[in-house]
Amino acid sequence: MLKLIMRLLAVTGLMVALTAPTTLGFDFSELEKSITEFTLKNGLKFIVMERHEAPVATFVTLANVGTVDDPKGYTGLAHMFEHMAFKGTSTLGSKDIEKELQLIAVEDSLFMILRAERTKGPAVDSVRLAQLEKAYEEAREASYQFVEPNQFGNVVDREGGIGLNAGTGADYTVYFMSFPSNRLELWMALESERFYDPVLREMYKERDVVAEERRMRTDSNPFGRLIEEFLAVAFKAHPYGVAGVGHMSDIQYYSRQEAKVFFDKYYGPSNLTIAIVGDVKTPEVQKLAEKYFGRIKARPAPERIATEEPEQIGERRVVLEDPSQPIYSVGWHVPELAHPDRAALEALVDHLGQGRTSALYKNLVKEKKIAMQVGAFVGFPGDKYPNMVLMYAMASSGHTNDEIETEMFAEVEKVQQELLSQEEVSKIKARARASLINQLGSNQGLAFQLAGFQALWGDWRRLFKELDRINAVTAQDVQRVAQKYLTKKNRVVGMVNTVQS
Amino acid sequence: MKRLFAYSWVVACAWWLGAVTSAAQDVDKLKYPALNKLEIPKVEKITLNNGLRLYLLEDKTLPVLNVSVRINCGSHLEPIEKIGLAEICGTVMRTGGTKKWTGDQIDELLEGVGGSVETSIGVESGTARVNVLTEYLDLGLEVLAEVLRRPVFDQDKIDLAKVQERSSIARRNDDPQEVVFREFPKIIYGANSPFARHTEYATINAITREDLLTFHGAYFHPQNVQMAVWGDFQKQDLLAKIESHFGDWPREGEPIPALPKVAYDYKSKVYFIDKPDVNQSNIVIGHIGGLVTDPDYAARIVMNNVLGGSFGSRLFNSVRSREGLAYAVFGVYSANIAYPGIFYNFASTKSATTGKTVQEIIKEIRRMQIDPPTEDEMRMGKDGYLNSFVFRFDTRAEVVTRLMNYDFYGLPEDFLFKEKENVEKVTPDAVLAAAKGNLHPDALQIVVVGKGADFEMPLDQLGFGAVDTVDITIPSAEVKKELAVTADNVKRGQELLEKTVQAHGGLANFKKVKSISVKGTLLYSVRGTEIPIAVEWVQVFPDKSKSVMSMMGQSMMEIRNGGTGWKTDQATMQLAPMTEKDIVENDKDWNRNTIHILSAVDKPYYQAVFDGAGEFAGTPVSYVALLDQQGNPLCRLAISDKSSELIGKSYYDETPLGAGTIDESLSSFAVIEGVKVAMTTVRNLNGEKLNEVRIAEFTINGAVAPEAFDKPQ
Repeated sequence: MLKLIMRLLAVTGLMVALTAPTTLGFDFSELEKSITEFTLKNGLKFIVMERHEAPVATFVTLANVGTVDDPKGYTGLAHMFEHMAFKGTSTLGSKDIEKELQLIAVEDSLFMILRAERTKGPAVDSVRLAQLEKAYEEAREASYQFVEPNQFGNVVDREGGIGLNAGTGADYTVYFMSFPSNRLELWMALESERFYDPVLREMYKERDVVAEERRMRTDSNPFGRLIEEFLAVAFKAHPYGVAGVGHMSDIQYYSRQEAKVFFDKYYGPSNLTIAIVGDVKTPEVQKLAEKYFGRIKARPAPERIATEEPEQIGERRVVLEDPSQPIYSVGWHVPELAHPDRAALEALVDHLGQGRTSALYKNLVKEKKIAMQVGAFVGFPGDKYPNMVLMYAMASSGHTNDEIETEMFAEVEKVQQELLSQEEVSKIKARARASLINQLGSNQGLAFQLAGFQALWGDWRRLFKELDRINAVTAQDVQRVAQKYLTKKNRVVGMVNTVQS
Repeated sequence: MKRLFAYSWVVACAWWLGAVTSAAQDVDKLKYPALNKLEIPKVEKITLNNGLRLYLLEDKTLPVLNVSVRINCGSHLEPIEKIGLAEICGTVMRTGGTKKWTGDQIDELLEGVGGSVETSIGVESGTARVNVLTEYLDLGLEVLAEVLRRPVFDQDKIDLAKVQERSSIARRNDDPQEVVFREFPKIIYGANSPFARHTEYATINAITREDLLTFHGAYFHPQNVQMAVWGDFQKQDLLAKIESHFGDWPREGEPIPALPKVAYDYKSKVYFIDKPDVNQSNIVIGHIGGLVTDPDYAARIVMNNVLGGSFGSRLFNSVRSREGLAYAVFGVYSANIAYPGIFYNFASTKSATTGKTVQEIIKEIRRMQIDPPTEDEMRMGKDGYLNSFVFRFDTRAEVVTRLMNYDFYGLPEDFLFKEKENVEKVTPDAVLAAAKGNLHPDALQIVVVGKGADFEMPLDQLGFGAVDTVDITIPSAEVKKELAVTADNVKRGQELLEKTVQAHGGLANFKKVKSISVKGTLLYSVRGTEIPIAVEWVQVFPDKSKSVMSMMGQSMMEIRNGGTGWKTDQATMQLAPMTEKDIVENDKDWNRNTIHILSAVDKPYYQAVFDGAGEFAGTPVSYVALLDQQGNPLCRLAISDKSSELIGKSYYDETPLGAGTIDESLSSFAVIEGVKVAMTTVRNLNGEKLNEVRIAEFTINGAVAPEAFDKPQ
């Protein structure tokens, strides 16, 4: 009883703390004013935020293309192209570009002939296949003799660039790096060139690298194995159902030509958004952007995916038997980011599975101690199309997925039946506000957010309106979306059950 | 090449050639304007009267306050039989609450305002971090002060931390990368070194609340604390608040012992860890590394960048880009401030190219001692460092915490600038000399985690000696500690046992026991629910026994009659003769029986050895280990210091749920025929509840039908 009273006191104290400071609110509009945007004639949008505390700047290029856009039979192609975007250009990475391109063409042609033979199935001529393999191998080695490997990365490194990398998500692909701010023009030259005149050199070796990435992230990791199976069960029609790294056989299948076609379709300037945050002058950025990125010819923006995931007609389950320790996950289909229910869903997952005071953490971790880790989030595997709320847990040693499931469903039922208290709703809003303010601290974090909001909403200013969206959520909204979406019929369960090998 | 030209007709389909463009850029011709001047923000250092050191850096950009605290303590100070003590202390300081608030209340207070206070303790130091919006500065500082100064280490949150730690142990072999990066440092520093060792069930089980209080009490004193604060605050206001929260913290405690010395012998060795459920090998190759204060440290920075520190390094170019062997590959000769780092080279590759990848990496290590960096490599490795130097100052957090860390180690404030000056002077020859002086390509240790059956070559053909197969099976909770069988401890053990016999009714009463009959319920814990099973057990001294477990019309039986016996086979549910192993196990069970042990105290079939004091289920106890005639452990008894009752028993056993330590907790004592017996026994396996036996009827010297132990029909 004493504990209960103490907790009540703590919560009351909290309310006082919460009601007082709303007048002290941070003025996002000042920050918003320091951000400008411009669009080149070819449709490429730039968002620039000047920040002069240190002479550095972060550059983020977001291509509105993700693994969701992989053509059937070519899974992993968006990710493969991301790798190829580091292979240099005609002017960067070659000892003799004319000769190299001729040999690349030979290599490509041989690969296509070889591929045709490989896919003949029972009709394959093994002698011819062996000859072709050898010829292709030779052609490949021949084209590589003119390669100066990793020149793109070398230039970035030696000029003081840091954090050079890229990532391919379900919805989009981001390329990023930071430079001392006087290297603005260098970045303009490098980045425009790789999306203007990329040479997809060493592609057939890079496929092996991607295959290793797949082995590392998916095949040899229990989480990777589960995610791939889970998605395949959760989405039967929509391409969200294919894990982004691609199937091993597809990775070995696609040709450079297909990668180039993919590039032409999805890397047109109107499908790119660039965010720059740091010690730059916007007019200078605009002048250089026109000079360098203005070279890229306008291309039509690709279509959105038309396939819609049909409504689920009953619970789906996938169970992996695996030597590793148990992992539990459950997801429910929910609408895309732009849907009016999204803010309430974000509040719902915050309440259920984010932080030490979340419902799942309190029940499964602190009180029952049946899980060592729990979480919940929305936007799995992407945001652009209807996606999922996902909850997951890793059982404590000696406990099972069945116990986890029982308690998780009990928490879901609770939020469906009982309204959140006013304190709980206030907490969600306070956390959202603090989290946004903290994100503003880093150049890179801010550049990601600006480019991401621009791509997903068509307007980076939505970043600052997110709080309004969350602040408008009521306890009734949270209950309503929990009742509407978190149903048995609409859920997908995926787990790893431990079996000794 | 001939074959290649035979196919040259295919050039006709070169769709690519049109791509060469006239507007191509030459990045080498670009001219850069001067870099805007870097204003390195000035950190204000203040020391409180009690020795607490402050580092303040105001920054009004965002309404946020950050604090990072460094405490001079660490897991290097914990005893080896309690590995995990420092880590759990670091966790429960925060989760276990303080004098003013419970941990759960702190969670509510902070999350209610979107703030956080987190603590942890690593090898060399403890850390506390605060992040709150400035409007909640008071709350952030007060929670920090409470957590650092007045943690109460609530038992429930200690249990939670232990559950989490045990769960991590159970999962530690699931990810092959985790395995290789855990095992390699053990090979370099030694498995018991604080720089490499890790928790086990036994070391976690050994940690008590008392230990946490003692650890905290020994090191958490203001002269061991440094506090960096940056963000939006008013200096005078902040100082007054810090003074009020920390000013009266008394300076006390002993000086902190230094880190242990690292001794390393260069040698070649191959270690293999088999993981049949993966299709990729994780490889680490290397030896000991160095210190940041070594004279050639600057040359090694460039060496690292050339060898394997970035895109375009030699390892990246060869292993990844040229050979396509790996996605992840890097190599670095790492350096620490207070103890030597590790030289390690990593790659993950498909099983069938394991040997080739090892050879490729070693080739590049050797080449570092032969080929000095090219001009291009110097630009990448040296100019890259210098050009990116400005990023060392691009956030306030870096500037202020770096200064705090330099102070901690006694490095000069301008250490980083000296480092930069030294890098400016590095020549290709200096890099070559650093490679020759520090790398030992003929004395490399190699660890491979992977599916051995699919390797393309045996690892002993790598030329680095025989292969040592490392068993990473997770040890059970059995305490591996050496038992000290000294005359003193034997004497004390026997005395403790005699006192226990007294407390349980005296030897005379025990001597009268000829048979025992027990009826009760066994609650079997499965998936959080307890399934009741009826149990009956009859024992006629010395070697006849029968036990029956039944549930829902099914029963399982075990009968022992001298040298023979029968038991229900779990697969067929039919009675079958006991095997030799069954007989041995049955004997062990009997020899661990409380009445058997206590009634033999005058003519023991065991040796009783005092095995230290401790805490069992919250009660102070003395432990007595019983050894059989061969000196093998039989079981370990926990005897209450206060009542001399036997309240706990632990032993190693193999169960259908896996092998491990069984801990029995004995309670609900009743006196039957003058003998005090436990009516409730709770059994844990490796710290997790297994079952509970509740005895309803306990009979001594009751009537037992002689045919009860005959071979059943």
